[in-house]
Amino acid sequence: MKTHRILILTALALWGGNLAAADAPAAACCQDEPVAQQADACCRATPADAAPFSAKSLYQTDVAFTDDAGRAFPLGELRGRPVVLTMFFASCGYACPLLVTDMEALRARLPADIRDRAAFVLVSFDVARDTPAALAQYRVQRRLDDRWVLLHGNDDAVRELAALLGVKYRREADGSFSHSNLITVLNAGGEIVHQRTGLKGGLDEAAAALVVAGRD
Amino acid sequence: MSLRTLILCYTFALSSAVAALGAADPAPMRPIPAGVYVPLLRTTKDAAQVPVASFLLDALPVTNAEFLAFVTANPKWRRSVVSPLFADSSYLETWAGDLEPGPRAPANAPVVRVSWFAARAYARWAGKRLPTTAEWELAAAAGYTRPDGRNDEAFTRDLYAWLARPVPAVLPAADSARPDYHGVRGLHGLVWEWVDDFNTALVTGESRADTGLDRDLFCGAGAVGAKDTSDYAAFMRQALRSSLQANNTTTSLGFRCARDAEPATASTP
Repeated sequence: MKTHRILILTALALWGGNLAAADAPAAACCQDEPVAQQADACCRATPADAAPFSAKSLYQTDVAFTDDAGRAFPLGELRGRPVVLTMFFASCGYACPLLVTDMEALRARLPADIRDRAAFVLVSFDVARDTPAALAQYRVQRRLDDRWVLLHGNDDAVRELAALLGVKYRREADGSFSHSNLITVLNAGGEIVHQRTGLKGGLDEAAAALVVAGRD
Repeated sequence: MSLRTLILCYTFALSSAVAALGAADPAPMRPIPAGVYVPLLRTTKDAAQVPVASFLLDALPVTNAEFLAFVTANPKWRRSVVSPLFADSSYLETWAGDLEPGPRAPANAPVVRVSWFAARAYARWAGKRLPTTAEWELAAAAGYTRPDGRNDEAFTRDLYAWLARPVPAVLPAADSARPDYHGVRGLHGLVWEWVDDFNTALVTGESRADTGLDRDLFCGAGAVGAKDTSDYAAFMRQALRSSLQANNTTTSLGFRCARDAEPATASTP
């Protein structure tokens, strides 16, 4: 049942991706809209992100995150790169270290051209303790290089991203989090093209999806 | 192209709309006094009771007329243009058109066929937010005549009668429901309602697997257990929440908004 849904999702996302590629407009976003619907902020976009995101792109969300260097990081900044994204929390003692290890293993399976462009993104559930500084420390501990993006968000942002990914989570009384174990692959447009659920196997499939996403 | 453009533009047009609504919003809110929520499902490490601060809750679920004002002001959320990421293909299905609720969605009836994303966007636009599970359950525990409805006979009778009734093709007016102890109507007896943290319900959706939640799928979920197996209605709500994806819509799922209590009220001992 679950596999079935993921297959459908993947197919839809791939289809959406092709559509997006076919008519990717370079024009400024508000150009063909009635004046009444224009808003100045909308036309402020830099040339690189002037094209609107596709209808299935996660980057449509307006919630914002902060990276471990303390810089504001809208998810749309990942545009153009194949992305592996996992939600986690730094003090997790069970599944999260395995998920990060799996992401490393996934990276090792990639051909060089994809590996160099792919972004490996960790977004923390722990809005209180995983501050940008704490995430910077985690980066050092786990020896994560600059292909890794570590993100902190407020409650609102984390809940919305989790909803978009289909991740369920809740904070436990001891400060830890129960959460779905999910590694998500996004294409260059920010559309979900693959999800690995659970903690076992599935890395070859995820790597394959990432290669397709990276060469689209 | 133009649709997508519209979607992008919507975000930035929002702020002015919020200001416009704030003045015109007629929906009354009711204060819900601080209380204690006893979670239906909790881990062995969890406290048995969760304190909930006082807050304001809409007296009525959001109606079709109110939702129409929202989609009119926010084209991104119209049925024909909404992103499939944020609402499934049945979004506002009972409406006659993008800006026309029509006969199957009377103006004063609760809006249904709305996704969590849409409900949240509405709340933000209205300068409010969705209630949390703890807040919603605390408010919904009230009977007609007392803050704890479990021993309120008329209340429990109506609740279970509603659960046994199929959803009517056309929903009744939101204010047709009898007000509860707090003056809030329709928490039971009209439609199910979204809560902000619906995605905290850690069940897989595969009923056979949920007796012993899969440790591979959910970190830490092995310890989750139920507190009160007699609260059938709460189980139904829990089951519904855990079965939903954030872009899902159903014929009997609507929402209402909440807001933090005014600082003055909150700081009063």
